[in-house]
Amino acid sequence: MSADIETQVPGAAGSATPLTLKERLARTERGISETGYYEADLSLKESDPITFEVLFTRLLQTLTNAREVALSISASPSTREQGEIIFGLYTREGDAICLSTGLMIHVHTMSRAIKWMIENDYETLVGFDEGDYFFNNDSFIGGGHPSDQMLITPLFIDGRLEGWVGGLTHVTETGAVEPGAMGSSFTSRFAEGLIMPCVKIGSGDTLRKDLDILVDRGVRSSTSWLADNRAKLTGNMIVREKLKELVADVGLGFYRKICREYIEDTMRATREKVRRSLFPGRYREVAWRGVTLPGQESLLHSPCELVITRDGRLELDYDGLPSARRQPFQATLPLFEGMLFNGLIQNVFYDLRYNDGTFLAIRLNVPLGSACNPDNIQLPTTLWGPAYGGMQACAQAVSRAYYAQGYREEVHASGPLTSGNLAGGVDQYGRLFGSQCFEFASSGMYATSFMDGLDTAFSDFNAEGDMGDAEVWEQQMPQIWLAREIRRDGGGFGKFRGGNGIHSLYLIPEGTEMEMGSFGSPPIFSTAGLMGGYPAASLRVWVGRNTNLSQMLSQGLDLPNGEGLHTELPDFVSEVEAEWEYVPGQNYPARALPPESLFSVVSGDGGGYGDPLERRPEEVLRDVVDGLSSERTALDVYAVVFTRDGAQLIDGVDAEATQALRAQHRRDRLARAVPAREYKARVRERLIAGDIPAPAAALYRDVLRFSAKWAAEFRTFWDLPDDYEVP
Amino acid sequence: MTSYSSQMISDLLEGTLPLDEVARLQRDKDLDRFTTVLKLEQARVPWEDRILVPLQESLYVVERSDGARVVKCRCGQEFGDYRQNWKEEAAVCERHPQDGVVYLKYKGADPAWQMLREFYCPGCGVQLDVEPVPVGYPFVFNFLPDLDE
Repeated sequence: MSADIETQVPGAAGSATPLTLKERLARTERGISETGYYEADLSLKESDPITFEVLFTRLLQTLTNAREVALSISASPSTREQGEIIFGLYTREGDAICLSTGLMIHVHTMSRAIKWMIENDYETLVGFDEGDYFFNNDSFIGGGHPSDQMLITPLFIDGRLEGWVGGLTHVTETGAVEPGAMGSSFTSRFAEGLIMPCVKIGSGDTLRKDLDILVDRGVRSSTSWLADNRAKLTGNMIVREKLKELVADVGLGFYRKICREYIEDTMRATREKVRRSLFPGRYREVAWRGVTLPGQESLLHSPCELVITRDGRLELDYDGLPSARRQPFQATLPLFEGMLFNGLIQNVFYDLRYNDGTFLAIRLNVPLGSACNPDNIQLPTTLWGPAYGGMQACAQAVSRAYYAQGYREEVHASGPLTSGNLAGGVDQYGRLFGSQCFEFASSGMYATSFMDGLDTAFSDFNAEGDMGDAEVWEQQMPQIWLAREIRRDGGGFGKFRGGNGIHSLYLIPEGTEMEMGSFGSPPIFSTAGLMGGYPAASLRVWVGRNTNLSQMLSQGLDLPNGEGLHTELPDFVSEVEAEWEYVPGQNYPARALPPESLFSVVSGDGGGYGDPLERRPEEVLRDVVDGLSSERTALDVYAVVFTRDGAQLIDGVDAEATQALRAQHRRDRLARAVPAREYKARVRERLIAGDIPAPAAALYRDVLRFSAKWAAEFRTFWDLPDDYEVP
Repeated sequence: MTSYSSQMISDLLEGTLPLDEVARLQRDKDLDRFTTVLKLEQARVPWEDRILVPLQESLYVVERSDGARVVKCRCGQEFGDYRQNWKEEAAVCERHPQDGVVYLKYKGADPAWQMLREFYCPGCGVQLDVEPVPVGYPFVFNFLPDLDE
């Protein structure tokens, strides 16, 4: 490739004809494929590395400034308090050059949307002009689900389109069948609400009023959607105008070239970082999700194969994923790409420039027709399912590669599952509302090889996330928090334990008409431990109808305020008389709940690391004293014996008794275990007999047909005939 | 070139390095880390076989005096050729996901969906891996290192 991108090709009569965007995109992609380069040389970087860095910092500051301004404009708690927003700058072809901080999942998803418009002839059929705004929440085009809403504007310099600016927020109401956009009952994409595929919703820097009305009448509460659009428009305008100033300072040719060099530089840095940091080899991990629709119960797995080569190539293969179906626990390819790169940026490439150079340097296989790359746009992709698991599995594989190379400060177990509640209806002031609560942005962090996971302080999908003030949420969702507490014993047990997530107990207030639900996981362990650590606890929902709360208040009794110290039933269930419903897992389709009902949900917790019997006893003691772990787990899981004072209160660790108990636990393990060969022979008999519980049998039947690679390995592992099917 | 003391890396391996020091390691990488860690790991095990690569907590790929490359626990228990999954030579136990010992009823998976498959070293009983999987799921072969020059 030439140093400055070629802008013209010979015309039929010998005159020069400008390339269309579609031609330019095709040429760029062909060039990368043929040469392996985005830009053949880094002459600007090499000739003046200081300017190279200064200019990138200027781009980054511009985008980050736009994000901060937009945060102030948005009226949505998920944007304003949780920081669910990001801005990006793109080349003419739609490749990301630089991104603000924020929702890193969308490093690449807005790029997908820009390329989709180019490939679908928007340049001629719809037209691009300065001041145009294109809105997209079609997740097959870009984004993750209809909640992920992007606003993209072209960047014109001297009358020519020279790039794109985009902003994306997560909007908590889309007019879906269930309120709050992320319902677990959807069997069709058309249940997900209002979807607008790259629609020009503004021109001349003004948004169309008729489309505002469309949104206002199409969703339960349009505040977040419409206010976020204004926030994104403002942010985009800030970036666009600052970019014009920057180009005026450095010249257009310099700007074009240096932007391409930023992407090329990241591609090279990506390969170099892989070569230096990750031990070469083949890594395999699996993460779990499932379908909980009645009659369709099935496990879903995310089998990840990571190959690191000696020359710094990183290849990810997800052959073995289940097939896409009419269920919401799956994802589009743009979202799966976004999740993976969100994880890789946080775990490996955190010190590089965040742009598409990383994406272009990595090889990824996600089979078409799988639950992470559906080939039918009528299918719902609401809750991502194996895509989130695919990121968890990839992060564990990368951790093993770091471990082998000696970089133990980068090693960690799986991060927490995303879960939360949804609600909609009429609030106590007679206003329509609909939303999901994003407090799960403060879940329990994974354990690392050197420390416990932080409690209520982490999410994989937004490293800057925060739970937000309950009082602000109560303005958007009129549920009243009776409890918001650390979920004791939630994090996976281990030498280092996973962080505990949040437990919240909501009261449905008087004067409301509310339906409430939640999303999360099937009744499984969805966040694995690493190298001997246990997975995080399973999620669950408790719903209490027809409670005696009024009676309790009239009698002057305390209202329930948490799970308490009991190891079996939570305190709030024991204390409140109600028609209690317990739902394992946390996929609870929204249902009407009368005032004074109680609804209890938990966020995800982090996976544990290493053998729990190697946990330092004094840390077990500390957790018990702090109320983060129970005395039961201290004894049963960690085999730590405490000493007690005269009042029978714990006052220390009995080191000798602990050592003896741990030795006994190790002997007990070997006494109850069997050699792997014997174990395999027993399980093989069960497979032949079809003695497999329904959720697993459904998975095996599907994947044995859908993935030849996985089927061959499954049959070889269990020494089954080539035509074996689950009876 | 950035380099850190052997003591600092040793503290990292022991999980006792202060977090501000860990942050230094995360910000600025030492390129000789593999060699440093290999020496430290070799000094921590009670046997003489040469460690080729630490495979995971407690397990190493070693080269024996007869030239065989095998997976070996820090206790000395061997798990066979490194190109085969070490889990094939482990002690295995399926744990009920709500057994009341590790997880109680309201925090464990539904047994129809998953159990906890635990892998122990037959020599010392250390827990090497926990797979939350359904019945019939093949052992996951976590790591096949590329050792061939």
